[in-house]
Amino acid sequence: MSNCHALKKIALPWLTVLIALPIWPGGGNRLAHAEPVSSPTEQYRSYLIEQISQTLASTKRLRERAAANDVDGAKKAWIAARVGWEKAEVFISGFVSDLDEDIDAWPNALSGFHAIEARLFGANTADVAAATDQLIYHLTDLDIKIRQIPLNSQGLLNGAARLAYEVGESKADGGESRYSGTSLDDMRNNVSGIQLVYKTLFAGPLGASDPKLALSTEQTIQQLASLLSVTDAKSLEPGKVRTASEELIVALQAAAPKIGLRTPTLEDITQ
Amino acid sequence: MKGAIIVAAALLVASVSSVKAFPIHGSQTVLPDGSELNEDALQKPREIFKSEAGGKSYLINLGDLAFSSPNMLGDVARRAGISCSTCHVNGASNSAFFIPGLSTRHGNLDTTGAIFNPPADDHVLNPLTIPSLRGARFLGPYGHDGRQVSLRVFVRNVMVDEFGGAEPSSAMLDAVVAYIEDIEFLPNPRVTSEGRLTGRSGAAARRGEALFVKAFPHDPALSCAACHMPAGRFVDHHQHDVGSGGAFKTPTLVNANFNAPYFHDGRFGTYDEVVRHFDRQYSLGLSAANRNDLVAYLTAIGDGEGGEEQDSIEAWLKEINDFASVLATAIPAHDNQVVSLTVDTVGAELRELTEHFPDHKDPTVTGGSAERRRARESLKEVVLSLRRIGLAGSANDFDAAMLEYSNYQRLIQNSVPDMKRAQPWSLFDAKIHELHYAALRRVSETATPAAH
Repeated sequence: MSNCHALKKIALPWLTVLIALPIWPGGGNRLAHAEPVSSPTEQYRSYLIEQISQTLASTKRLRERAAANDVDGAKKAWIAARVGWEKAEVFISGFVSDLDEDIDAWPNALSGFHAIEARLFGANTADVAAATDQLIYHLTDLDIKIRQIPLNSQGLLNGAARLAYEVGESKADGGESRYSGTSLDDMRNNVSGIQLVYKTLFAGPLGASDPKLALSTEQTIQQLASLLSVTDAKSLEPGKVRTASEELIVALQAAAPKIGLRTPTLEDITQ
Repeated sequence: MKGAIIVAAALLVASVSSVKAFPIHGSQTVLPDGSELNEDALQKPREIFKSEAGGKSYLINLGDLAFSSPNMLGDVARRAGISCSTCHVNGASNSAFFIPGLSTRHGNLDTTGAIFNPPADDHVLNPLTIPSLRGARFLGPYGHDGRQVSLRVFVRNVMVDEFGGAEPSSAMLDAVVAYIEDIEFLPNPRVTSEGRLTGRSGAAARRGEALFVKAFPHDPALSCAACHMPAGRFVDHHQHDVGSGGAFKTPTLVNANFNAPYFHDGRFGTYDEVVRHFDRQYSLGLSAANRNDLVAYLTAIGDGEGGEEQDSIEAWLKEINDFASVLATAIPAHDNQVVSLTVDTVGAELRELTEHFPDHKDPTVTGGSAERRRARESLKEVVLSLRRIGLAGSANDFDAAMLEYSNYQRLIQNSVPDMKRAQPWSLFDAKIHELHYAALRRVSETATPAAH
């Protein structure tokens, strides 16, 4: 069997899944579309559920620690809660970007992750009960949504491209997580989320249709991850990070038609 | 020493003093916590060019581009996003600039401190004001102490020795100097080309003019005008010790209303303080009325039409288009150094422009969601087009780069109506601007530990 035949054999199931999915502007598939549990999108859903469950559990722990006036414990829980959220941002950006304002608003001193962060890490106070309760409410809503919302490849490609663009934004002012000093962690978790969605959904079909592009896309993601593996945000090379983030989007844009998708949009312009 | 009076300028213009720069926060920033770059100011200095009417040349646009690129400076500045234009905003000064440890007041900076180029650290906190570059071609020698006759040598010194940048190419240095030498003074209808007041000035200013040229009581060879020579753009190109801790060159008084704080170290915030200093230093015996008249005179000759203008989409586009225009020369010339510099610098500018249209996460703006998203989408596509130019250049595929440059021009043009539609909900709108930065200030206040 030639290599070409082998590739076709691997690629066909992927292409079948991708082509069967309806494409919606901005990627927000509003249809209740039953996917086989083994499909790549459903595999990705189980990852999402895991991430948001972790975030929700950590946020509940944050409330407990805050109620006990344990500032250090609350800080640890806040940092832990951010991990799943940032990894899931591919989905948030691609499907429910409006929830961003409730959960991760910036600049907002009243509600969301960063309002809590300012009090915990900046003012060093555990007086975050009201904002944490609100956050738990919205995360619970998200936890329900990610189990029910129909996922599709277009929306996740849009989300990956949008998040890649965000990773390239300058953090010279400290970034959004400036008081906890975890903006670099946010970026790393973003890239980890991009990496996972790429591997789960796009690497296979792209490898089948354009192995060279698949390889260079993979390398650009790796390069981005490598640029973020510095000791602290001060050591970041923002120009290089931005270049890699934009090269990744250019690669994803080039990949889209080769895997039966439309060029990803960088904003949810359907809203 | 031949006597001299450095009546270095005055009066904070109301719009300047009301600027509230948003400081940098956190332990993870390259610059110290509390640094203020004043990049959020809604009012920006107006920049006019000598060659504006005839069309700016490739060399001047390239110099302007390099002047705005953090890549021309060293590691720290580059990682902090600081370029020459961060301090010299639109070729003027930056009265709100402040870096803890390097500044003793807003508007001054010690360029031989430990942050930007540690080997150049002289371990003395001796900050200098950020000079305006308006009319710089007339104002040599350069440096507050006037140590350098050549602007070219001085610029290289700032880039390499003070800010730790790599040695610039000769062509790039020529371009930066050409840009600086093209920055024009603001016109001032209250002063003739010989430096005399016109009929537009009031009686107080006229009385001040008489005092300005009057000989000092204890040394008839001296007067304010002896150093600030009215017919010579109010400079004499020499250094003098006027009791401020050394010999410093006579600063121009042209457009000085926009150049506060005054003296080499910015010790004085207003013309009144400056006049009082000279009154004391030279026993001038000025009455309160005399001082007021001198301040009125300095204010008249230090004026300039439209010294500041509100930041706008048009201003950004003009600059971006000037910068990007160098690609029309650099791509056919296969000049990858310039292509790369342009892609990086214009791309960063476009990203910054994009953030003037707040995203969906910003709770301070409630209207125009669709319009803002559309504007952001359009601008992001322009950024990616630039990146494709960069990629094509890196691959030495200059035909593809030129083709993409045409696409870039189409995309940037197409983004204009999208930005215009979103403008009412953008940071170009004074009310939205205030709401956005007020929210940032509230976050900052929330993060401040309660006083015990």
